[in-house]
Amino acid sequence: MSSEQLAEKYLTAHQREEIDHWLAKYPDDDKGRRSAVIPALHIAQEGNGGWLSRELIDAVAEYLGLPTTKVYEVATFYSMFDTSPVGRHKVNVCTNVSCMLRGGEELLAHIEERLGITVGETTADGRVTLKHEDECLAGCTGAPMMLVDEVYHTNLTPEKVDEILENLE
Amino acid sequence: MNAKVEETKPDTVTVTIDGREVAAPKGATIIQVADEQGIDIPRFCYHRKLSVPANCRMCLVDVEMNGRPAPKPLPACATAVGDGMTVSTQSERALKAQRGVMEFLLINHPLDCPICDQGGECELQDVSMGYGRSVSRFVERKRSVKDEDLGPLVATEMTRCIHCTRCVRFLDEIAGTSELGGMYRGEHMEIGTWVGHGVHSELSGNIIDLCPVGALTNKPFRFRARAWEMLSHPSVSPHDPVGANLNLHHVRGTIKRVVPRENESVNENWIADRDRFGYQGVYSEDRLARPMIKLDGQWRETDWETALEHTVSALKSVVSRHGGEALGALVSPSATTEEMYLLARLVRDLGSDSIDHRLRQADFRDDDHAPERPSLGRPIADFESVDAAFVVGGYPRWEVPLLNHRLRQASLRGGDVMFLNPRAHDWNFRPTLEHVVHPGAMVEAAAAVATALAESRGESLPQWVAAYGATVGDEHRRIADALANAGDAAVLTGGLVEGHPAGAELRALAAYVARTAGASFGVLTAGGNSAGGWLAGAVPHRQVGGGQGRGRDAGAMIREGMSGFITLGVEPEHDFWNGAAAERALGEAEFALALSPWATPRMKAWADVILPVASFGETAGTLVNAQGDWQTFAGVGRPVGEARPAWRLLRVLGNLLDLDGYDYQAPDEIHADLRGRVRGGEPDMLAWENDTLEPRSPSGLMRAGGVALYGTDALVRRGEALQRTSQARPASAVLAPATAAALGINEGETVEVRQGEATSRLTVTVDAAVPAETVWVDAGLQGSEALGPLMGEVTVTRV
Amino acid sequence: MQAIRDFFNSFLLVELLKGLKLTGRHLFDAKYTIEYPDERAPQSPRFRGRHALRRYPNGEERCIACKLCEAVCPALAITIESEPREDGTRRTTRYDIDLFKCIYCGFCEESCPVDSIVETREFEYHFEERGEQIVNKQQLLAFGDEYEAQLARDRAADAVYR
Repeated sequence: MSSEQLAEKYLTAHQREEIDHWLAKYPDDDKGRRSAVIPALHIAQEGNGGWLSRELIDAVAEYLGLPTTKVYEVATFYSMFDTSPVGRHKVNVCTNVSCMLRGGEELLAHIEERLGITVGETTADGRVTLKHEDECLAGCTGAPMMLVDEVYHTNLTPEKVDEILENLE
Repeated sequence: MNAKVEETKPDTVTVTIDGREVAAPKGATIIQVADEQGIDIPRFCYHRKLSVPANCRMCLVDVEMNGRPAPKPLPACATAVGDGMTVSTQSERALKAQRGVMEFLLINHPLDCPICDQGGECELQDVSMGYGRSVSRFVERKRSVKDEDLGPLVATEMTRCIHCTRCVRFLDEIAGTSELGGMYRGEHMEIGTWVGHGVHSELSGNIIDLCPVGALTNKPFRFRARAWEMLSHPSVSPHDPVGANLNLHHVRGTIKRVVPRENESVNENWIADRDRFGYQGVYSEDRLARPMIKLDGQWRETDWETALEHTVSALKSVVSRHGGEALGALVSPSATTEEMYLLARLVRDLGSDSIDHRLRQADFRDDDHAPERPSLGRPIADFESVDAAFVVGGYPRWEVPLLNHRLRQASLRGGDVMFLNPRAHDWNFRPTLEHVVHPGAMVEAAAAVATALAESRGESLPQWVAAYGATVGDEHRRIADALANAGDAAVLTGGLVEGHPAGAELRALAAYVARTAGASFGVLTAGGNSAGGWLAGAVPHRQVGGGQGRGRDAGAMIREGMSGFITLGVEPEHDFWNGAAAERALGEAEFALALSPWATPRMKAWADVILPVASFGETAGTLVNAQGDWQTFAGVGRPVGEARPAWRLLRVLGNLLDLDGYDYQAPDEIHADLRGRVRGGEPDMLAWENDTLEPRSPSGLMRAGGVALYGTDALVRRGEALQRTSQARPASAVLAPATAAALGINEGETVEVRQGEATSRLTVTVDAAVPAETVWVDAGLQGSEALGPLMGEVTVTRV
Repeated sequence: MQAIRDFFNSFLLVELLKGLKLTGRHLFDAKYTIEYPDERAPQSPRFRGRHALRRYPNGEERCIACKLCEAVCPALAITIESEPREDGTRRTTRYDIDLFKCIYCGFCEESCPVDSIVETREFEYHFEERGEQIVNKQQLLAFGDEYEAQLARDRAADAVYR
């Protein structure tokens, strides 16, 4: 049927190879394949400018042989997966207890003002997406902190933040 | 494991629940033991037929193990009982935990009970009466969730959802379609499809029953009645030979909704959507309120007396001029046993054996070999545990959804479920193998399986099987090996065998395979009461109790024509193997009497008298299901208009025709009369095996078709909501890519499908699921009415 | 002693004189009788007379067909049928009250979550034909429109006690 070419259409051979690498680590049954969903989605997201389109998720589901809803569940659950287009960089400022006490909220307000966007939005030039923070980002020792793409920046001050943001491509 | 280990670990443990000491099976959960003891533990997510996620936390109880209390209350649904365990469901700590959970659940639940259909039968409402506070401590805004359209059967109000995930688990575990999931997380969690593809499972209605709150409700029933004002009466579904047990809910004689009635051996607590929503047909617009007769080519409504007098004189005239044997009766396989029995007696008393209910059967050559009734060969519930099942020509997912559910369970448990079909079907599990061949090649493929099996069993092949000269292929061998190696195997023939021009040969071969493999053998039949039809004598070759009959079967009546016809609950254009020929034969008859709840323009074209009879839920009677249960039910709804139960009408006709023994006052008298004359016991299904059949091998471009999920009978075809589901789209002609290319036809084009003189214009779908040289057109759909044989020659031309 | 006193009282007609005294006093008292219909007794805002169905100020009918009044009615005087209206809301297609069955207990009014079914202060009405005692939804809504000003006043007056 027509839907069966999704994986080939949306995933490169290299990506499929990478997914195979993860699949090999788990038992070859439904549960094992479900274990590979997160790595597979990461692989797919990386190759798509940092976000997952519905077609891409469908392609992953088809490639793993899982019902699409089971993959949608995972893709919508984790904040590391974005299901709508994002900027080139994802900035995530922690405002959970430790960071809040050390000025995380002020920091966020500063960033919002500087970038001219609010949480959840992307700058007009497509450079930065300011992400919703779901929970503590686990950098309490260096509060306040923020996560830029996959890098932790700790013990922040507005000046440091400005510098970091300026250096983003 | 050796025996010693078993001894040291006894199978039962002793637990104390609320001061009551009980012996419980090892591995059982606290909630199971408590339920058995009648101790009520509140719960939302737990359902005994589904897996245990323990996510609602409502069933928290206090547990002590050998005097040591557990540090926290434990969920009763996910905690296994242990020896010496003491459980308290009512201790202060347990109650406090339950109250706490209740309070959290109510944070976001709207207080719209007055407009909620679940109001009055809501588990959340009930439990909040016991554990909830009268005033909420929360002043924050409640969250609201956007609704999703799940289709025409299930209404949603997702703000009410408490995320128990019963619906998600049902669709994963029972329906096998995984159409719903829990999207997002935490406070933002929503149950839905995320992409809006809806829920299309043939068992989807069960999520309405499972939903403990009013998030998923019955769409056709929406806002139409309240739980407390309806009366509930037991009934039985007439749509398939499982005979799902139902409860009909009615208000002042009008059926408002249908819900399952639990019966572990038949339908557990599930029913298919057509069992649940078919009742809508009872109140369809073309329901006939008064008798109608055709006088001088003009239809007019009349009173019962005139209509009956007219009918009786017409019947008498046919009998006196052409003899009794010129009369034929055709009865729907979903009619009650009592109706079939009376109609069979009526035509026999008028001098004819020609009565049949097997309207969609193509091949009657093996009638004399048939057992006294069709059977599945084993109890329905037993299909869940078969190691191997081989279905010849069948799509149980559409034919008998609840049997398909059992086969699915067998497959999930590691059983081999295998099919030999004239097309690949869309399954809700992974069959071990679906061997797809051209419809004309099915006999040879079945013979190949038989040959392979005989080889692996080391038996010599009987002459009649060897005569097919079948070449054994890889698939045939795999099927044969799986059957031969299985400890418990089942062979079934499905509806595509019933409609196959060489169906008798397929039945014989399947029976041979079953016998050789030591498997059970069963047949799937159309309608809800084919077994009852056989027992009640609604077959031409056999009378009640086994006497020989010499009538014409349904095929012969249509082919050769009769002077007079009596039909009961039949729409020939949809219900017959050859709908076009059936309509023609009925139209050409001197007198055709239709006993039908509905009157359609097509019916008015062939009938001479239409008498309105009671429909589903309005008449009392008995349906005999495929495992031989005589399931009796009472009439619940008030018949619409002046309609009368068919048994009463047939009884009056008997009286007016001056026949003896038609003085029944109630259907149970008819039932008792029939029951006394029928032999009980399990029929010998292997009797189908016979070596007297001349091989028929249809070939070339062939039409093939099954009966559509929502096209099985006149009632379902009028189920307004069912007809709006994705499975009920108008008929299309499905062609294999190669065939389409050879004919020069593309997807989406309109073609004229011609079978003899019957034609229909259909849209083409190109699908590799269909074998080459096959035009797949399902029956019972808009566009496939009054086509020719379900399986037979066809021509396709582009228009 | 008591017996002797009773004996004398019985033929001295003391009881009779006592009675006459009472009669005499009331003969010249102010009269309680109200000359109905020229005079009228005061009515409580909680008076339970003929029923009405109310609307919201924007003209939308209040009734949501929850059927609690039908369920609570001890005389089974209320018959409701319902289905979704075109806009998808839950509405009645039939709302009948049999005023012969009704015992004017006011339970319907108490049970109504949206203050739709109410009992007006209207108690002077009659029927001329058999069947007229069954009032339907249109009539009830019309009563409601007619009495809305007073109904709203009465509900407001009673609200402080609820």
